[in-house]
Order: sequence, then structure tokens, then C-alpha cells
Amino acid sequence: MTLSIKKKLDRLQIQRYWELLQVLVGRNLKVRYRGSFLGVYWSLLNPLIMTGLYTAIFGASFASYYNNSILNYVLAAFTGLVVINFFSASTSQALSSIVNSGALLNKIRLPASIFPVSMIAANLFQLAVGAFPLLIIMTFLNSKSLVNVLALFFPFISLVLVSTGVGFVTSTLYVFFRDLPYFYELVVFVLSLSSPIFYPAEIVPRQVKPFLKLNPLSPIIESLRQIALSGKPPNLDLMVSALISAIIVLLLGLLCFKLWRHQFMDLL
Amino acid sequence: MEIIRLDKVSLWRRTQEEFSYDLKKTFLSVLEGKYRNPSKNLVLDRIDLSINSGEKVGIIGSNGSGKSTLLKIICGILQPTDGSVKVRGEIAPLIELGAGFDTEISVMDNILLYGVLIGFSRTEMKERIRSILEFAELEDYIFVPVKALSSGMVARLGFAIATDVQPDILILDEVLSVGDESFQNKSKKRIENFWNKNTTILVVSHNLNFIKDTCNQVLWLNKGKIQVIGNSEQVIQDYLQSVGKNNIIN
Repeated sequence: MTLSIKKKLDRLQIQRYWELLQVLVGRNLKVRYRGSFLGVYWSLLNPLIMTGLYTAIFGASFASYYNNSILNYVLAAFTGLVVINFFSASTSQALSSIVNSGALLNKIRLPASIFPVSMIAANLFQLAVGAFPLLIIMTFLNSKSLVNVLALFFPFISLVLVSTGVGFVTSTLYVFFRDLPYFYELVVFVLSLSSPIFYPAEIVPRQVKPFLKLNPLSPIIESLRQIALSGKPPNLDLMVSALISAIIVLLLGLLCFKLWRHQFMDLL
Repeated sequence: MEIIRLDKVSLWRRTQEEFSYDLKKTFLSVLEGKYRNPSKNLVLDRIDLSINSGEKVGIIGSNGSGKSTLLKIICGILQPTDGSVKVRGEIAPLIELGAGFDTEISVMDNILLYGVLIGFSRTEMKERIRSILEFAELEDYIFVPVKALSSGMVARLGFAIATDVQPDILILDEVLSVGDESFQNKSKKRIENFWNKNTTILVVSHNLNFIKDTCNQVLWLNKGKIQVIGNSEQVIQDYLQSVGKNNIIN
């Protein structure tokens, strides 16, 4: 009896969380793209322009690492940029989400975690209608196999988990330290430079390479490229290692959020 | 039936003035060994309270005595440091109307957003859009962004959404004067309607006459403690005596 009531309560809570997520993500996207002609497709502009730029500058010199094909370089740069852009946009937006909703949290009883999660979800929606279809086409043309297309979901699930975990940490820390955005910008810069996006991983000196392994985005990018660009069947090891490191990051983020959640209200 | 019960509820809050929000400074002070744990204030001190359904309770006290904090504890916005809070039923939070609005999006989107934030489902809210707009007299503004409305209209909208359904517990924190004369009458009628039914109402107000007329119980908070709780007239009388302006009322 009590158990069934508890179950019902849990279900209600999940349902409420889902409803909140829907309205907050809807609000988010509406505010962002109200009146802009291209709508969510603006989000594609950045990776496309950057890919063009990198190709123009580095394409010719690095092509030898990509089977002497500039096209391969273009695709590699694009996949890397999609990952790093998603990460940087969603976690930076998550960072300020709780503090910006401070007034609301002081007036209405809400689960605080909904705010960073809704930021990640809004970016996920953008990704799903923008870059993801492009990557599906790219993968299919390269591998001619539906298995690769399906496997494509795995690196992106890992990416969402990593971003959510980091989003929990940044949104929590920002409650306590309001000068965090400056430091976080630096962190994102370090992460994006230390992931092999516009350079081949081979040019990194052997002594430095182990440090790059600490970057949780590297296995994701590596796995994504293997699935989308290599034309070979998906490498399970890469997929699983990306997923495991993502789950670790998510758990750490959740832990950090849970530990400090009760102090939020005094500082908002 | 008992609908709200607080047992020995205490709340310590961090004093914000002393707190450094600066990562650099905090880091340096830790390095120098000067870091101190932030100091805390006792905002509510062992509050025991029991309210039965249908009761109308006024909460009075000087500024900073913990009135709004007590309402926040009852709403579940703040968790008590000690003690337990039990609330049965739906609470309509009415602490400052319109706090949940996003001024960039349309009135209709805001009705859905605000409604879901305060605890209704989307389908429920969709069914109610019409009656809400009608009550707020904003039928012509349905697709207009909220930033284009006047502040009175925004307050009307907030009031209309929050009171469209009769809640079990209504919480009023100085919000009874909303909009122009005619809307004030309308909103007063709606509140009076709640008043007559079995809704439990908690009011924080500095308008003592209003509290005396409408509440059957008054809780006097003094520095986070319950000074006294009881019959409205008597408590207000005592309160006024203590602040030394006995002859203003009556």
C-alpha cells in the first residue's frame, strides 16, 4: 500500500520533471530564435565557418596525415568542431542557469537541477535538427552501412552525459563563485585545444600524449570519427571507453550537485 | 483536519554580506590560511505550528522577523535546518506575482510556462488559457510578448493564472492590490470566494485592519520566534501595544 503510493509519487515527480523540461526548453529556444530567419540552423554556421577557416589554413599541410585528402581533413575538423561546440555552448549556458533562476527558486518550489538540464536539452535539440542529420548522411556515404549510422548515437550519448555532468559542476560552482565564467572560458579553451580537432593526433609529442588522454572529449571525438569517417565497422572498444568515461564524469557532477544543493538557497 | 504542521522548525541562514563570491579571493584566503567558515544567523527559532484546513491565519511582525521565510518553509522552497514540516494538499504560491514570466515570449506561452512552474500540467493549462485570459482581460494580447504589456497587466495575468483553480492552501504575501480599481474588485471577489470555501489561507500583511477583518487567527513573529498565536483582535492589540502605537487602530 505505502509502496504503491510511493511509486505513484515517484511517477508524478518524473512526470512533473518532464513537463518542466518541456516548457523550459521551449522557452529557451523561442527566446533564442525568435524572429531569426534561419532559426536553429544558425547553430550550424559556427562549425561550418570554422571548418572552412581551419581547412584554408591547415588543410594543405596536414592533408598527408589524412590519406592525402583535403576532404578527409574537412570532415575530421567538422566532426571535432561539432563535439567541442556542443560541449562549450551547453556547459557555459548551464553555468549561469541556476543563478539566473535564483529569483524563481526563491518563489516557487522547483527542482534546481532542472535548469542546467534544460540548457543541455535545448542544445541537444539544436544538435538533433542541425548537425546530426549531416553526420548521418556523412556516415552513410562513408560506410554504406546502417550499423554505423546506429552506432553514431553512442558518441553523442556520451557527449550529452559528459556535458550534463560538467554542467552540474559549473552551475553549482557559479552559485558560490561569481567570477567563474572567466576561469571557465580558459578551461574550455584548454579542452578544445587539447582535443585533436584541427590537427592530427599524430603530431603531438609522445611525452605530452598521456596528458591529452585526460580530456574526456578526446575518446568521444575519436569514436565519432572512427564511426563516421573510417568506413570500417564501429569499433566497440572506442564506443565503450567513451561511454564509461562519460558516465564517470556525470556521476562526479551529480555528486557535486547533491553535496552542495542545500547551500544554494542562502546565496541566491 | 490538520493540513499544515511544523514541529520545532529552526532555520539557520548564511549572512550574505560577509560572503565572498570571488573564486580568486577565496582561493587566496585559503592559501593564506585566513579562510573562515561563513557566519550564520538563526532566522527561525523552534517554530511549532499547526493549522487545520479552512483556517485563515494572518502573520504579523516587524520587518525581518521571519514572516516571508516562514511562508517559504511552508511552501517547501526552503528546507529547515532542524525540525519537520508536513503539508497536505496543493499550495498556490502567491509570493510576488509574475516572478515566473519570461518577458520575451508571448502571453500564451507564458501562461503555459508559469502554470507548469507552479505545478499544473501542460494539458491542464491549455484547457484553461481561455478562462485565464478572460479573467485577466487580456484576450486581445494572446500572441503579444509580455514585455509589451503594462506592469498592471502583468500583475493581472499572474493573479489570474495562480488563482484560476481553487488551491487547498493559498498563500498571500502582500499581493492584494493588483491592477486598477475594477480589477481590484474582481480579484477581491475571487479571494473572498476562496475565503468562504474551505481553502486554508495564510496572509502576510502590514495592513493590520485587513488581517483583523479577514483572519480568525493571528501569528505574531518576533525575531524568528512565535511571540504569540491566537485570536486576531487580541494578538493585534498586544502587537500594537508592544510597538507603542496603540491608538492608531480603532
